Parts: sequence; structure tokens; C-alpha cells
Amino acid sequence: MSPRAAAALRRCAQSPRVIVAAIILIAAIAVALFAPFLAPHSPQDQDLINTLLPPMWAVGGDPSYPLGTDTLGRCILSRLIYGARVALYVAFVAATGAMLLGAALALLASYFGGWVDWIVSRMVDIWMAFPPVVLALILLVGMGAGVNKVILAIVLIDWTRFCRVIRSEGIVVMKRDYIAAARLSSFTNLQIMLKELLPAVSPLLITLLSLEMGIAVIVEAIMSFVGLSVEPDVAAWGVMIADARQTMNQAPWGVIFPVFAIFLLVLAFNLMGDGLRRALDTRLLISRGAA
Amino acid sequence: MTRIALQLLLRRLLLAIPILLCVSALVFVILRLLPADPIAMSLPPGATPEDVERLKRDFGLDRSIPAQYFIWLGKLLTGDLGTSIFFRRGVGELVSRALPATIELVAAGLTLGVILGVAGGLAMFAKRGTAAEQAIDLSTTGLMAIPEFLWAILLILFLGVAFPLLPFIGRLDPAVTLPPTITGFLLLDSLLSGRWDALRSALAHLVLPSLALAIGLAPLVMRVLRSSLLETILEDYITQARLRGIGERRILIGHALKNAALPTISLIGVQGGFMFGGTVLVEMIFAYPGLGNLMVDAVRNHDLPVIQAVALIYCVLVLAINAIVDVIYLAANPKLRAAS
Repeated sequence: MSPRAAAALRRCAQSPRVIVAAIILIAAIAVALFAPFLAPHSPQDQDLINTLLPPMWAVGGDPSYPLGTDTLGRCILSRLIYGARVALYVAFVAATGAMLLGAALALLASYFGGWVDWIVSRMVDIWMAFPPVVLALILLVGMGAGVNKVILAIVLIDWTRFCRVIRSEGIVVMKRDYIAAARLSSFTNLQIMLKELLPAVSPLLITLLSLEMGIAVIVEAIMSFVGLSVEPDVAAWGVMIADARQTMNQAPWGVIFPVFAIFLLVLAFNLMGDGLRRALDTRLLISRGAA
Repeated sequence: MTRIALQLLLRRLLLAIPILLCVSALVFVILRLLPADPIAMSLPPGATPEDVERLKRDFGLDRSIPAQYFIWLGKLLTGDLGTSIFFRRGVGELVSRALPATIELVAAGLTLGVILGVAGGLAMFAKRGTAAEQAIDLSTTGLMAIPEFLWAILLILFLGVAFPLLPFIGRLDPAVTLPPTITGFLLLDSLLSGRWDALRSALAHLVLPSLALAIGLAPLVMRVLRSSLLETILEDYITQARLRGIGERRILIGHALKNAALPTISLIGVQGGFMFGGTVLVEMIFAYPGLGNLMVDAVRNHDLPVIQAVALIYCVLVLAINAIVDVIYLAANPKLRAAS
């Protein structure tokens, strides 16, 4: 590792935002991995005698259901724990996919310029005319519902978030002397792109990746909320919110816990992105917000 | 100035045409990948294969995809958006009733979001370097981690159910009769016909959904405004104003804000487009009869003509808001203004 990269890593490790985010994320990943050991019940087990129980500390709560139960008497805590699997799976796979597609197109556009850049930029223009949620709904109607379709939809929509930023950064980098030097020393196009251009934009890429993971969590929650994501027998936070919404006035906890889970995970990804941005000193990226 | 603004609008319009053509073709192709059969879903259980064929012919679903697209496009140019498979009504009629509701909602959401955001940004700037700024900064990070549709649910939970202060279903109280339709915009129609009861009810129904949208926008506006104020305040002309003995408050409002507003205006342009996306779920949650609700219904019923039309209208709205914000940017930018 180069001394500069090591220094950057040290700065990241010292950022309070990064530390807080890392703690939340490690905890969330551990919860998702060890779900079968942590969850007191199976997420699908129904207990029709004990429906809509409040959390155990409230009046009428039952200690065997620490966060209470939903309309079918399913354990809210267990469903939250299993829901973390869906959220993290979508976050990692979809955000990485969107990054690969967006960064590849951005590198091509900024490296070759000319008509390649023109085509990529026009595609971004077309995509930007869609509100992302609308495009996601259309894609899911076309491809059919399912969690992997949601991932594909996120990749096909959010590559533009990477492409726009990386392309403009790449165009700046292409004017630097070391790119010209690499050309003169007969590097191939691919070598220059991967060994010179990519490292130069990678701090930006990492920051965007973290923010995109938060966005992916939200998009998955939206799509499972409208019933276009997971299979009916899978616990996902969006599904929990949609189910509990019907009985919100008697049992508000059923809504509040999954909302809090989404909040915490998205917060962690945003804090991570924010902390990395400051530590890696990428010029101020204006956060474009979620959905 | 006006000439430049007109040129800008014209250029935007010319650019919008190819974009919208591509968008509509894209939507058309994606929807034709559809694994489910929308016809089968809209027929009664006892339908014969002949019924299916006839209905397919009626909706033009027996032609090739490019042929279907050009038929659709041709009709679109004559103002015919087709017929809804699910509602069995003209798509144009459905859309023309839903569109004003959504525009009203976004206008309210944008206004509220900008007011909250600018106020918050100024507050953060005024408290710069103190613990209060850190606290506000941290809470904006928190606010941004909750998407609009969850704000919608939380607002209903707290201000609709727990402390029932505001209505959260639909656009108007069921006891209030609809004001006569003049423009289709409920607020405007109530105002024009002097129906104060309807106006009050419609405004009350707008508060929670527009707040749900505004809370998503405000933190972004706050942050961008604060950081551009921090940059502007270092400029020479601000120091000069200070040397002339102008008070801090007047410098901020009268001098710094004008220049610092530019990045905020471009941000609002991008976010205003996104806000139309945010309305989809917010409308569904508040049972607000706008485009978003229509879209969700259409998606659930695989109602292709409606999905196509509504998607295209969303894109028109996004491009329109971008163009409007461009013009505002131009009007607010002293450099561009001087050029004319």
C-alpha cells in the first residue's frame, strides 16, 4: 500500500462518523449472518392467540415476544432480524452492480471523449428525465416482481448517479500530465483506464458506493412496501410496514420498529459516505438525496 | 434578459423532444417484456379464447411492438392517450383529473421544503462554529436517512392517529362538496368560486402529504445553502460591505444570500424533479387522488396504457421543472444577467 493510501485509511479510521457507521454496519451484518441463532422464533411462525401484542415492556407484553407480534401473531423481533438479510443483500449487490456499470461507462466516456462521451451523456440525460421511483415501477412491471428483479432495477436506474459524477471527475483527471506520460510510455488504453484513471477517481467511487447502499435499502423497502419485491413468505422491512399500517392505530409498534431499522441502516451508510468524503477529501459532492 | 430566457426555454424545448421520444420508446419496450397477460387479468372468469382475441385486437396487442409503438405515438400526437384496460375509461380523462392534484402537492411540498431549508440554512450559518451548528448538522444527517414514504407514515401516526390534528385521507373532507371545476386545481377552484370551506379543507389535507415531501428536501437545501454562504462570506465585496459599516444581518440578507442562492437553486431543480417520484408513494399512503395513486393502481393491474401515459407525463413534469428552474437561475445570476 502506498504511503498516501495508508494516510487516507488512517484518516478514515479516525473519523467519528466512519467509526459510528462501522459499528452499526458490523452489528447489522452480524445480526443478518447469525439470524437463525439470534431470532427467538421463526419469522413465519404464526401464533393466532397472541396477535398484535405490544413490546414486552408495555402493559400486556409477553417476554417471549420481546418486540411484540403482528396481525398474524408473528414475532416482530424475529422478522426484523431476518429482514436485515434482505436489506443488506440488496444494499451490497445492487450498489456494487450500479457502481460497476456506472463507473465503466464513465471511464469509457471520459477516456475516449468524442462520440462515446456523447452517447453516454445522452443516455444519462434520458435516464435523468425519469423520477427513479417511476422508472423502478415500470421496470418491475416489465420484468416481474422479485427481490433479484429489484436489484436489477436498481442497477439499471442508479448507474447514472455514478456515471455523472465519475465522468466529470475523469475528464479533469484526463488533462493531467501523468496521463500524457502514460500514453507516451505506450500503455494500452485499458491499462491507462484501469491503472491511472480508476485509482484517481476511486475515493469518489467509494464515497458514492456507500451512499448508494443507503439508497438501495430505501428502494427495496419501497418496492417491498408496494408488494413488488420479496416472495410472500420472506420477511422484509417494507412488507412489515405495509402489513402493520392496516392496524397502526391499535398497534403502532409494528410500524415504528421496521421504520427505525430502515432509519438506522440508511443512517449508517450515509454517515459512512459523509465521513469518507471528508476523510478522503473528495471535492464537496452535493448529496442528491434518496429516491 | 427576457431574450436570453426565451432562448433558453426554446433550447430546452428542442432538447426535450428527442428525450421524450426516447423515453416513450424505452417505456414501451420495457412494458412489452411483461410476463403477465394484462388481458387475462381484466376478463371475467368465464371468458372464451375468442373474447381474449377480440379484446387483444381492441387494444392493438396483436401487432408487432414497433407497430404498436407507432400507432400509440400517432394517437398521442392527436391527443389520444388510449383507453385504460382496468378502468375501461379514457386515459386522458383519468390523467387530466389526477395531474392537477399532483402538481398542487408538489408545489406545496417544494414551497414548504424551500422555506424550511432556507430558514434552517440561515440558522446553521448564523450559528457557525458553535455546538448548535454541529447539532443541526447531525440532525440533518438523521432527517435525510428517512425517505418520504416513511415520513408519510410517521406523520399519519403522530399527527393523524396519536394526536388527531390534521386529516390524512384524500384531498377534501367527505362532508364538503366539491367546488365547481374551473381549472382542476382544487385550491384555485375553491378560491375562484369563493368556497372558503372547501379551501380550508383542501389546505388542511395538503399539510401532511406536502410536509412528508418537504422534510426530504429541506436538509439538502440547508446544507447546500450553508456551504455556499460560507464560501460567499469570504469574498472581497462582503469585506468591503463590512468596512462600509453595514450590519451583519443586512450583509447576509441583502448581499451574501443573493450570490449564495445559485447552487441552492440548481439543487432545487434536480430535487424538484425527484419530488415527483416521491409523490408516488406519498399519494398512495394518503389516498391522495393524484398521478402517483393512478400509477400504483395501474402497476398492480398491469394496466399498460395508463402506465405508459403516466410515465411520459412524469418525464414531461421533470423536464418542465428543470426548465423553470433554469430560468429562475438565469434571473438570479448577476453574471448572466449582465451579459444581455
